[in-house]
Amino acid sequence: MSSGPHAPHRPTEAELDDMTPDQLATLAAELDDVVILRNLSKFPIPGTRAEKRAERAVATWFLLSGLSAAAFVAAYLFWPSQYRAPSEPGYQIYALYTPVIGATFGLSVLLLGVGLISYVKRFLPDEVSVQQRHDGPSDELSRRTVMAQLAKAGKDTTIARRGLIKRSIGIAAGVFGLGFGVIALGGLIRDPWKGGAKAVLWVTAWGSDDGEKVYLRRDTGASGEEIIKNGIRGIRVRPEDMNTGSMETVFPFRMSDLQHSERLDAVLKMSDVPVMLIRLRPGEPVIQRAGRENFHYGDFYAYSKVCTHLGCPTSLYEAQTNRILCPCHQSQFLATEYAKPVFGPATRALPQLPITVDSEGYFVARSDFNEAVGPGFWERKS
Amino acid sequence: MTTTTTRRRAGTKLRRRVASAFALGIALLSAGALYTVFIPQPQIALAQDDTQLVAQGQRVFDNHCITCHGANLQGATDRGPSLIGVGSAAVYFQVSTGRMPLARQEAEANAKQQLAELDPHTPEGEKNLEALMAFVQSNGAGPTLPAERGEALRGSDPARGGQLYRLNCASCHNFTGRGGALSSGKSAPNLDPATEEQIYAAMLTGPENMPRFSDRQLSPEEKKNIIAYIESVTNGRNDPGGDPLGGIGPVSEGLIGWLVGIGSLVAFTVWLGARA
Repeated sequence: MSSGPHAPHRPTEAELDDMTPDQLATLAAELDDVVILRNLSKFPIPGTRAEKRAERAVATWFLLSGLSAAAFVAAYLFWPSQYRAPSEPGYQIYALYTPVIGATFGLSVLLLGVGLISYVKRFLPDEVSVQQRHDGPSDELSRRTVMAQLAKAGKDTTIARRGLIKRSIGIAAGVFGLGFGVIALGGLIRDPWKGGAKAVLWVTAWGSDDGEKVYLRRDTGASGEEIIKNGIRGIRVRPEDMNTGSMETVFPFRMSDLQHSERLDAVLKMSDVPVMLIRLRPGEPVIQRAGRENFHYGDFYAYSKVCTHLGCPTSLYEAQTNRILCPCHQSQFLATEYAKPVFGPATRALPQLPITVDSEGYFVARSDFNEAVGPGFWERKS
Repeated sequence: MTTTTTRRRAGTKLRRRVASAFALGIALLSAGALYTVFIPQPQIALAQDDTQLVAQGQRVFDNHCITCHGANLQGATDRGPSLIGVGSAAVYFQVSTGRMPLARQEAEANAKQQLAELDPHTPEGEKNLEALMAFVQSNGAGPTLPAERGEALRGSDPARGGQLYRLNCASCHNFTGRGGALSSGKSAPNLDPATEEQIYAAMLTGPENMPRFSDRQLSPEEKKNIIAYIESVTNGRNDPGGDPLGGIGPVSEGLIGWLVGIGSLVAFTVWLGARA
């Protein structure tokens, strides 16, 4: 379709048959309006010592890359990757595992690249070519004919006259797209208000619908299966477990959870259940919030660990000042004054969990929080 | 016939007496030997030594502590708290880290060079510190250090220690022990310089604003696992890349990754292009 100013001579069939591959290649360039100004082979005389040397140099890069790749595979398979404490023998070797596999892998890729570039620089001919630049739109003839061609092709399908087919294609594509959208987005759509007053935003796992006792448990790092196997000794919190001026993060626990190890693990990952059980030092003057005078047990106070500002864990409890600090935006809550905010961006007090001790001496939650946990949302009244 | 029998019987009787006397002697001797082997060690320190140690401790106390903590350890208003019942572990932590004696009243007491007479790295300082601990312990007992020292305090399960550390300690001390800010100019210290005994004593006694972790909240085994974890990430033991980059996680690591990593790749590419 060349119609530029330097339209080359078009060879006939017979002329093409007579041409050498080199001439054909030059012709291909000319047809694309490319003029090769210079094309010098790096090694015009084959088999010189210089050429052999260059060949060996390139091969060395590739061989080094291969060696490095082999070292990577060997290190990946055989280098000791089992954890060792810094005091144990063999720690230095273990600590080198990641750097060694990273370095050998990286070196292998790098040397491969160096080899390729070195090959191109040493062996590809030194060439300068110029391609003509075509300005402006295509000529009138090409534009009109192409447009007419496309219009005719469209008309030949007769789709413009076939309304039924058009609509059915639309329905098929639309329903398919809808189905695809449902698959892609359906999992993301949840109704946070399902369940009315028991909707997920209002309640936490501290509440008990069937009246089963909800204990305060600690996380010892043991998995649910380990707890079921080894028994729950030391899992449920008792008042005598904690010194004065101490804080412990506690989670809800029901005896029926022992039938389901996954529930024991899941409760540690729920975002709204962590509670700070704080034992104040004796004699601290405490101000209770109206209506929550009996939420505490002696010096023990249980506050939600979820900041009322943006939901970070507010677990920096200061035993002397009785302040609870949120590390994200420096909100401070006063543990001796119903965890009301005294500094920073938080505006609401941390929700307080009503606790008591059962007849066996274990802490239990008397009920769920009496307000929603965490940051505010539109439907919250306070 | 009879005479021989009688004589033999008399001989047997004599022999029997001698034998039983021997047996009794051996039994008595072995009972005595067993007693000396299995006699329990007295569980209390000998009064003589203790009194001397406590008296020496009182001298140290009178020299360095009495101004703020009072002659009877009752504390002084606006100067220092009562030390009755704080225990020898608290004394060990405060004095061996150089926090006490206090240089001046401010937001918090920071670790500093220990006083020469109380420096646990010198034999004299160690003796004085021990005496001071005994003196405070004798005035209302409190938490004491465990019998183990040094590396024996590192537990065998640093992975579980790490879990407990992240739940109980990381909020203030950062997940690799870098420390962090608290309210009103206070801060949680970096754990690099802390020894095993100091970490243990801190968990047990809750110095300043740190909460206390009783042995029922974190068992001695769990405390040792936490120490094992701390020792595995502090003092440059957690920087396989050569530098911890502040040990604060993805913020600095991402920044360095982009600036240095991507930057050097771009520079390398530009260099290659310029050479071609």
